[in-house]
Amino acid sequence: MHDRFLAAIFVSRWQWWAGGISLGLTVPAMYYFFNTPLGISTGYGNLVRILCPRVKSSWLNSDTFRDVWNWRLFFMAGVLAGGFLSSFMSGRTGVLVSMESFTGFIRMPFPVACLHMFSGGLLLGLGSRISGGCTSGHSIHGISNLHPSSMFITAVFVLFGVISSAFLRLFYGGPLP
Amino acid sequence: MRHRNLFLFVAGIFFGFVLSRSGASDFRLIHAFFTGRDFTVAGIMAIAIATACLGMRLLKIKNISLSGEPLRIDKKGLHRFSLAGAALFGLGWGMTGSCPGTILVQVGEGKVLALFTLSGLAFGTWLYSFLLDVKKKK
Repeated sequence: MHDRFLAAIFVSRWQWWAGGISLGLTVPAMYYFFNTPLGISTGYGNLVRILCPRVKSSWLNSDTFRDVWNWRLFFMAGVLAGGFLSSFMSGRTGVLVSMESFTGFIRMPFPVACLHMFSGGLLLGLGSRISGGCTSGHSIHGISNLHPSSMFITAVFVLFGVISSAFLRLFYGGPLP
Repeated sequence: MRHRNLFLFVAGIFFGFVLSRSGASDFRLIHAFFTGRDFTVAGIMAIAIATACLGMRLLKIKNISLSGEPLRIDKKGLHRFSLAGAALFGLGWGMTGSCPGTILVQVGEGKVLALFTLSGLAFGTWLYSFLLDVKKKK
């Protein structure tokens, strides 16, 4: 019984509702304990500042990044550690060169996949900064606080996700998930 | 709060762990959602939003945080480039099957390709700042 309980948490995939409820609870928890909105993407600014301390650009030197070792960076580090913990506890530690699921469904030589991921990341970075948030900040935090702008932005996120996935299938489609 | 950043690190671990365990950091699940084959991700998002909404409702009754200050709810607005920004984000989301949060999870899980997404995201963030300066000079 004990083993099955541990396996349900650490080894098998969680039921969708269990994951959803846990993710949802982080929004009020972040406000209650830290009085700060849930969000990740702004923290990438901290990362840029730490990687290139001499960057001149004015937004990266604005008040948001006065202290680059602030909570955003610690939260981000935690998310990364959480991913590691999850794969470590389920016994999947190690480096996954193939990234399993991506190369399983999209036929792309590895160097092309690297470039593809870099470009996609660039769009995510630019897009989340221009629109003011990402899936955590807009879609979970924003909609749950009933911000109409976040609802609109999330609809656009999903619409263009569908469009780019369709193109991805058209040009590089492998087996279907 | 003492050790505030340490507790935030722990909150991050929880968030990342749940994202990973529920499959949100798996390209397969995101791609299946965007191609209309599996709506697990939509279910996770819907329940997360409903839970967060209910929690925020309860929290707003007293409207104070643990330390006793009123809540500083972040308000997000729209501007003339919001639509374009959201479109770019959506394209990137479909291409990589990950968003700024799950990329960190994937890096933690040891997925090598996620390092390229991470570099791209950092570069995109710099590019935003750079373009903002260009726009101001005009």
